[in-house]
Amino acid sequence: MRVITAGILGAGRIGKIHANNLMAMAGVRLKAIADPYADFKEWPGAAIATSKNPEDVLKDPEIEAVLVCSPTPSHADFTDAAARAGKHVFCEKPIAVDSERVRATLETVKRSGVKLQEGFNRRFDPTFARVRRAVADGEVGDVQLVRITARDPAAPPIEYVKSSGGMFADMTIHDFDMVRFLSGSEVEEVHAYGAVLVDPAIGLAGDIDTAVISMRLSNGALAVIENSRQAVFGYDQRIEVFGSKGGIEAFNETPARTVLRSGAGVRHENPLYFFLERYQRSFVIELEAFFASIRGDREPPAGGNDGLMALLVVLAARQSLIENRPVRVEKLASPGHKKG
Amino acid sequence: MKQTTVGVIGIGRIGRMHTENLVHAVPDAYVKAVVDLKQVDPAWADGLGIPVRTTDLDVVLKDPEIEAVVITAPSGRHVELIRRAAAAGKHIFCEKPVAFEPGLIEQAQAAVAAAGVKLQVGFNRRFDPGLLRMWLGVRAGEVGEIHQLRVTNRDPKAPPVDFVKRSGGLFFDFAIHDFDTMRFLSGSEIVELYALGAVLVDPEIGKAGDIDTAVITLRLANGALGVIDCSRQTNYGYDQRFEVFGSKGSIVVENTTPTTVVSSSKGGVVGDKPHETFVERYREAFIAEVAAFVASVREGLPVRVGAEDAVAAVKAAGAARTSHQEHRPVRLSEDMKATSGGQGQ
Repeated sequence: MRVITAGILGAGRIGKIHANNLMAMAGVRLKAIADPYADFKEWPGAAIATSKNPEDVLKDPEIEAVLVCSPTPSHADFTDAAARAGKHVFCEKPIAVDSERVRATLETVKRSGVKLQEGFNRRFDPTFARVRRAVADGEVGDVQLVRITARDPAAPPIEYVKSSGGMFADMTIHDFDMVRFLSGSEVEEVHAYGAVLVDPAIGLAGDIDTAVISMRLSNGALAVIENSRQAVFGYDQRIEVFGSKGGIEAFNETPARTVLRSGAGVRHENPLYFFLERYQRSFVIELEAFFASIRGDREPPAGGNDGLMALLVVLAARQSLIENRPVRVEKLASPGHKKG
Repeated sequence: MKQTTVGVIGIGRIGRMHTENLVHAVPDAYVKAVVDLKQVDPAWADGLGIPVRTTDLDVVLKDPEIEAVVITAPSGRHVELIRRAAAAGKHIFCEKPVAFEPGLIEQAQAAVAAAGVKLQVGFNRRFDPGLLRMWLGVRAGEVGEIHQLRVTNRDPKAPPVDFVKRSGGLFFDFAIHDFDTMRFLSGSEIVELYALGAVLVDPEIGKAGDIDTAVITLRLANGALGVIDCSRQTNYGYDQRFEVFGSKGSIVVENTTPTTVVSSSKGGVVGDKPHETFVERYREAFIAEVAAFVASVREGLPVRVGAEDAVAAVKAAGAARTSHQEHRPVRLSEDMKATSGGQGQ
């Protein structure tokens, strides 16, 4: 297997996860990590070059692939710069929260002839990948309904909420991508109900913390997403695809899958606490897939277009929430339409 | 203990079920008479020890021994039968839907109030042990403040198109239970909803002007959000699942199965499908609802599901139909001009 040399921009939470995974991955050599704000004292050790300057990664001719793990507002610029430098890019979602900005980056990537994968890690979760395979193999027949429950264990700090781009862009974007991925169909129209039920401060910051979103898909099926910023019992991540032959459902995963029976009741374990625990394997598998597509010169499995489509659904959902009406996703696809 | 004497009006599938439940499972009820436009099978009535079988409604209404009637005639006759039974001073249990128009139900409600009799409506789910446990948990604060509610309601097999044509449509015939469940579990009212409908199971249902698949999202007066998903056909049994989620946690009601057997082999780990029909799934609920009705009559207690609940559910169904037809969210406070009958989704 050809060894690919990689670099990482951003050493925050997700950057560290990816870095640690790459250090353990065969066929990849993590050469350098750049982050203007990281001190790199404890981590990652002497084997990896560290820098405060992103240019050190972007201009290193040995580095063939760059992972963009910086804060969201810098994703598009770093992706552009990496692509122009001829490097394949793995970018955390979303590339940007402005669809025109995303389109410009996709154009840059295309012109540069490099590969772009976006961090829709849930597609690579073994459980959800199994659901997708069942659908693709026709085990549920024609898809009629996709249902997703996605609840975080605890509301994020208000500072995070303010810079997140809103719950739809930050959280629901994964669910919109799952609707597309599981159904194999596009979201045509979306309607969103939202509420502030968890933390009034989130409302004061102009965002919501609870939502139910219904959709009509291009294959005629319907879909519905339930979101909450706070499920006190843990990360609640369930999906169901229902069709003409039956349905397939994925339940929450627990640390040890035990059931304790006693006089007090039958006690199941709480779900794995949050995305780091629940989607641990998906972060490894998505990168393996990224490097495999570089080696095999294939289109990455979650490309820039998937990111753009999910973002267009986010923007439609946002508009639906503001105007309280169903919004067609295509309308937002027309050039020059900018609606926040 | 003095038994409450009951007459059953309309001996179709549901009428037979309620009659059998009253005879076999409600000791303080005595079914004296059954009425149907067609001759009732004498062997069936003999077997249940029911002395009076008649095609003449007045035989029941004029019988001073009969204190209460169970109305299981076709939906279109419910209001007329309620008015006549109320005028005759009988307490009434009526299957849902009482009517497709809120105004008609209110007329029935007025007739019942004027006569001073009770009217219980057949929202059987309110008596299901699982949903009752959920309701109690919500009331006891197990989930804290309610943030989200979900109902999954899917039939095992699409009904014949003839039934679809006279059913009032999916929102009135089928999702009506879900609207009531939302109100029951939340203890709050539906303020607004948005209904997406589709014909994905059987094109004939579409030709008959109805839908067979729906997703309804809604907003409740207490601020919570709700989701209902409906399908006329699962192929794996009657799929009935419920979830209430709130600030302190959630409560889920899963499907029940005929047995709890799990068989594991190289081919997989296989358990029972859910019960095949509502009769099996809600067996206990159907018994409990008529038992509760008889107890209300005997003890002079208020009924647990009244005409106002039927009105609220039908208003929600009407709003869902308008939402689907006009492709927009609909507030229930809007003047429902499109309520002239349940037909025509």
